[in-house]
Amino acid sequence: MSYANIWRRNLGFIRLAVITNLEYRINFLADAVAQPLFSSMIELVLWFAVFRSIGGGELAGFSREYYLAYALWAAFVARITSNWMYEFKMIEDVESGAINGLLVRPTSFFEYYLSQFMGYKILTAVISLIFPLAVAAYFHLPTIYSRIPGMLLLVTYFLLLVHCLSFCITTLAFKFNKVWSFTVAKNLGLWLVSGELVPLDLFPEAWRSFMVAQPFASAVYVPVGYVTGRIGHTALLTGFASTTVGILFFGTLGALLWRRGLRIYSGTGA
Amino acid sequence: MALAIRTEGLFRSYETYDKPEGVWNSVRGLWNRKYISKTALQSTDLEIHSGQIVGLVGANGAGKTTLLKILSGLIHPSGGEARVLGHIPWKREEAFLRRISILLGQKNQLWWDIPAADSFELLARIYDLPMARTKARSLELAELLDCTHVLHTQLRRLSLGERMKMEIIGSLLHEPEVLFLDEPTIGLDVVAQTRIRTFLSEYVRERKPTVILTSHYMDDIARLASRLLLISKGSLVYDGTVQEFMLKSEREQRVVLRYAEPLKEKFFLGDGRNLEAGGQEYTIQVTSKELPEMVRRLTQQATVQELKIEEADFEDVIRKYLETESRVHPSRSNH
Repeated sequence: MSYANIWRRNLGFIRLAVITNLEYRINFLADAVAQPLFSSMIELVLWFAVFRSIGGGELAGFSREYYLAYALWAAFVARITSNWMYEFKMIEDVESGAINGLLVRPTSFFEYYLSQFMGYKILTAVISLIFPLAVAAYFHLPTIYSRIPGMLLLVTYFLLLVHCLSFCITTLAFKFNKVWSFTVAKNLGLWLVSGELVPLDLFPEAWRSFMVAQPFASAVYVPVGYVTGRIGHTALLTGFASTTVGILFFGTLGALLWRRGLRIYSGTGA
Repeated sequence: MALAIRTEGLFRSYETYDKPEGVWNSVRGLWNRKYISKTALQSTDLEIHSGQIVGLVGANGAGKTTLLKILSGLIHPSGGEARVLGHIPWKREEAFLRRISILLGQKNQLWWDIPAADSFELLARIYDLPMARTKARSLELAELLDCTHVLHTQLRRLSLGERMKMEIIGSLLHEPEVLFLDEPTIGLDVVAQTRIRTFLSEYVRERKPTVILTSHYMDDIARLASRLLLISKGSLVYDGTVQEFMLKSEREQRVVLRYAEPLKEKFFLGDGRNLEAGGQEYTIQVTSKELPEMVRRLTQQATVQELKIEEADFEDVIRKYLETESRVHPSRSNH
């Protein structure tokens, strides 16, 4: 099979994601606009309250504006790098046997969902990017605009790791059937270790260094820290390196679990 | 003729657990589950030649879908060997998947939220088919199935029959050499069943793919298949032509007769069958062996005004055969 064909096929999957999601336009708009809007507002209100309670000044070496900028961009980036919808769909496919339609065709489950996931995320990201850009510009929040392409590049690369994690959890459905609670647990864990809940600077130094070195920091802390000026180019490159390690580790684990899963799969529902 | 499908000692068992009723047993199940092994398919040896149309028939849970799933690469067997077009199916090599197709009557394989025309375009990309040719072919097949008017409607908005027609088109776009059809007419009304049956019959005559067809509707099998495989409790219990099967089985026929006048006295036919006195019209079930003698006796009893002999249908014959098999091989029910 030629690369041109693989490319055409994957463009077809991306097209499928766009057509399918635009079919339910209210749901799409809520996901692309309302969710980042509300989560940003919640974070902003929270950090306003924190700084009011400590009487202004600085927290862990950064001023209120830095935290507001962090909260704004973190809400936007975290929404892109979290995976609920497609992970649930993948699990549901295995549970219900809808996966059969893919197993008997010359394509792979991993590739099929990766392309759809990336296509959908890029589409919604472009729309929801307007909100943090507008708010940061209007309130003059610390944002280095020239760093936005670097941030988006890391976030896009991190999506590959997100998909590998989702793929690993999906393969567990071959054995256990219902595994949606694993998705909830994983996303809650990422909420903390990615820096979405609070910037990782607020952790004790030993913890902070450890967590920043993990690939999960590239989900929120590294790209947001980079675009808001908390961290520099070196940290961004470290983010790329640790994400690569994560992709290799979870990609290999996923492939092994997939092979084991197919051995016990009973072709449910057909 | 070349072999398209060959299996040797192919079997599949799976593990499940007992689920006693009640809340307490559910709580206990958290740490203590009793796992049991079930055999879905017993050791199966099979050879199917290219271009053969094989009807695979059995009761629910007999193992026919398991066999199809293994041969199409959907699931792994627990043991044994199989080759389909020279490939080991469960390795799911791309070259193999391009040459086969499986249609699962109880499962959508096209995309629910998009029109069938979009699904066919995506299939063209997956199978690397020329787009213009795929469009022309899907239109041609849709015309044959009389469903061009719904090509641009989302799958979820179609009736069951229309959906099945779209699934059939989707499964034939890449012109598979081996076609697995699992209950292609299930749940459809008579009109849709007939349409699909006619279409498939013409398609296999024209393109000559190797086909394994399972169906609960024996008309599907009688109309399409040249070879019949009967499966019961995971084992193949009959392998031959449909005609041979009908001859071999002790077919039941119905004799419907009307005498010129009411019978004056009770007439004993044997095996607990009687014609009560005073009646004029009677229906008697007889086996094909009994038929000549029975007709002779009935016609000697009184003046016959009308006599009809009705053939038992294929479905009844198979049901009887499978029931007999269960009695003859009770061990097969102990998985």
